Amino acid sequence: MNRRQSLLAAVAVATVALGWGPVRAEDGVTLTIGKLLELTGPLSENGPSQDKAITIAVDYANQAAAAAGVPIKVSAVSADAQGDPQAALSAARALVAKGASAIIGPSITPESIAIANGLTIQKRISLWPVGTSTRLRTIKDEGTIFRTVPPDSLQAYALAAAVVDKVGDPKGKLLSIAYRNEPYGEGLAKDLKAAWTAKGGTIQGPVVFDPAQATFDSEAQQVVDHNPDAYVVIDYPDTFAKFGASLVRTGNYDAAKLVVPDALAFSTVPGNIPPPALEGARGTRGGSDISTDAYKLFDQLWQKAGGVEHFALDANSFDSTTLVVLAAAAAHSTDPAALTAKIRDVAKPGAPKFGPTTLGEALKAAWSGKPIDYVGVAGAFEFADNGDPTISRFDIYEYKGGKLDVIKQIDAAK
Amino acid sequence: MTIEEGIGAGAQGRAPRPPIEIPAAAWLALTLVFVAVCLVVARGPVAVGQTTLNGLIAAGYFSLGAVGLTLVFGTLRIINFAHGDLLTLGAYLTFGLNAMGAPFWPAAAVAIALTALIALSLDYVIWAPLRRARTSTLQAMLAAIGLAMVIRFTVQFFAGSQVRGVGQDVLSSINIGPLHLGSLQALVLVVGVVASTLVGLGLAFTRLGKQIRALSDNMALAEVAGIDTARAIRVVWIVAGGLAALAGILFAAAVGSVNPNFGFFTLLSLFTAAVLGGIGNAYGALVGGLVIGLAQEWSTLFVNPRWKPVVGFAILIVVLLVLPRGIFGGSRERS
Repeated sequence: MNRRQSLLAAVAVATVALGWGPVRAEDGVTLTIGKLLELTGPLSENGPSQDKAITIAVDYANQAAAAAGVPIKVSAVSADAQGDPQAALSAARALVAKGASAIIGPSITPESIAIANGLTIQKRISLWPVGTSTRLRTIKDEGTIFRTVPPDSLQAYALAAAVVDKVGDPKGKLLSIAYRNEPYGEGLAKDLKAAWTAKGGTIQGPVVFDPAQATFDSEAQQVVDHNPDAYVVIDYPDTFAKFGASLVRTGNYDAAKLVVPDALAFSTVPGNIPPPALEGARGTRGGSDISTDAYKLFDQLWQKAGGVEHFALDANSFDSTTLVVLAAAAAHSTDPAALTAKIRDVAKPGAPKFGPTTLGEALKAAWSGKPIDYVGVAGAFEFADNGDPTISRFDIYEYKGGKLDVIKQIDAAK
Repeated sequence: MTIEEGIGAGAQGRAPRPPIEIPAAAWLALTLVFVAVCLVVARGPVAVGQTTLNGLIAAGYFSLGAVGLTLVFGTLRIINFAHGDLLTLGAYLTFGLNAMGAPFWPAAAVAIALTALIALSLDYVIWAPLRRARTSTLQAMLAAIGLAMVIRFTVQFFAGSQVRGVGQDVLSSINIGPLHLGSLQALVLVVGVVASTLVGLGLAFTRLGKQIRALSDNMALAEVAGIDTARAIRVVWIVAGGLAALAGILFAAAVGSVNPNFGFFTLLSLFTAAVLGGIGNAYGALVGGLVIGLAQEWSTLFVNPRWKPVVGFAILIVVLLVLPRGIFGGSRERS
């Protein structure tokens, strides 16, 4: 397609958008992406940054497509998953009713499972959960669920590495594990336990706590009993506000021994979490190599857009959105099933590599039907058969003065 | 199921009983002491002492929240699902006033008064017309569930749904030898015990308390006897609303952070405490809270804390099988 044709196509798309039709749909693709965000509920801290990451990706894809002359226009619709599987399913249905061809989110695995079973598998809509639990892979998704976020089986290695970084040789070292009673914590704790004991360390717990309890003092006491060398607490921010206070009140708690996973990664520790509960603690989160041009571009777009600061996995939401746009370009279609079928063609190991800085070229290549390998802000994904990335980069960070400070990055692979 | 048992307990509890049930209280105290001694032998005094303190704190939370619930049920036969959201309302009114510049505790006092006033107005708007229409307990319960949602979402509309830090010092603790408890948690415990005792004593010994008990027995008869039932009902709502707000504020302060759902999520535990103790009985709220709080925390000495909620409800089921009206049950005349 030459410039003139693509200009015509763009005019045609605009005409359809303005309701002046009728114009044949094949001339261009008008893609709607569903943003399924945690705006309320236990993970509401990450809703705004997810929203921003997807919005940035949509705007950037539109610019890149227009500049490259690829007749694709992208918009997004959003709904609140509320941290509740039933509400998330209703919200996903609302997104599909508004024309969404793919869904980015939600962040909590039971929500993803409810949506997959109740909606997306049947309609072959690709779902891009931000939740990292390995429990997601217990369902037969028939190739509809893709994650750009590292599954917890990878994060467990990163957590174990972070603990080793802190306490040295694991042989004979006691690690105390506690988690909020959710699939996220259960999966992560299981893999962490295996990783730690494989290195010769010993485990205390895991202490499992129910989030609806009025007090967590007995649970916190069990975490610090026998003066362990380190603790890993796998929790969400809302409960950690209470659990952290209970830990401090035991009198035997040392935050410098704490290692937390990505759900407790905050650029600034929220006001409701008592500062002594996290000061000096370390943690892991899915990271992006910040020295790459892709990351610099992403950060530039992020800063230019204003609003909320970076939050865990924001780059992954950007990449998920971009992959969906590329797949739609490859499919020349907004049909969810056609789009889902093309996802592996735009993240194909061995194909020519493209990234955010070359998105226009990537869109052109995808539109012309060539396989490409999109290497995103968060890195290459190399989707395994189940749709999870097989390699991932993690940040190891430390809280200093209530702020998150990345001290190193590691690659965790199976 | 829990709630149905509760209704049954209240409806059946008409047999006259002696005013103070010492045997039940003594039996309970003996059982708790016996269990505690066994635990000390099995797990050592420090661990048992700490979990006992934690259990007492949980008991403080439960009984403070449950006393208003049980008072309303005992007198008006309303299973007040909106009670939990009155806790939320009290806490959020405090945050609102606090944000406008009032210091926390004076703001709390005003919020308690406002919540009591709102609870009273709700009687005029909702409960009095329903009483006149002679609605059943079930219909009133459904109205209460609806009201609960209205309150919760109104709070959410104005305050947003995010988790809110209260800004009180949740880290300071009182140390007793090797044992420790949070200062604000201790305050909740003391206020919980005092509030349920005062309500219990007030109902037993004041003139107004006797009137409230009379109308809870038979409203028509109480009116014929010359009791100003409207006034007694107003007092019930003011006390229940004020106690709910007090509970909500202290919960929020001691826990450190809340969202608009916290009252509703707490409600199930409050019902459990009230039903276990004998719904309609002010001391029942205290005792029910104590039994559940201790049982749950003691259970952590033996099983993973993930089973705490299961232990609470298992105890409820066992107690109701043995004492279908709860520990101090069937005593709406006394409550």
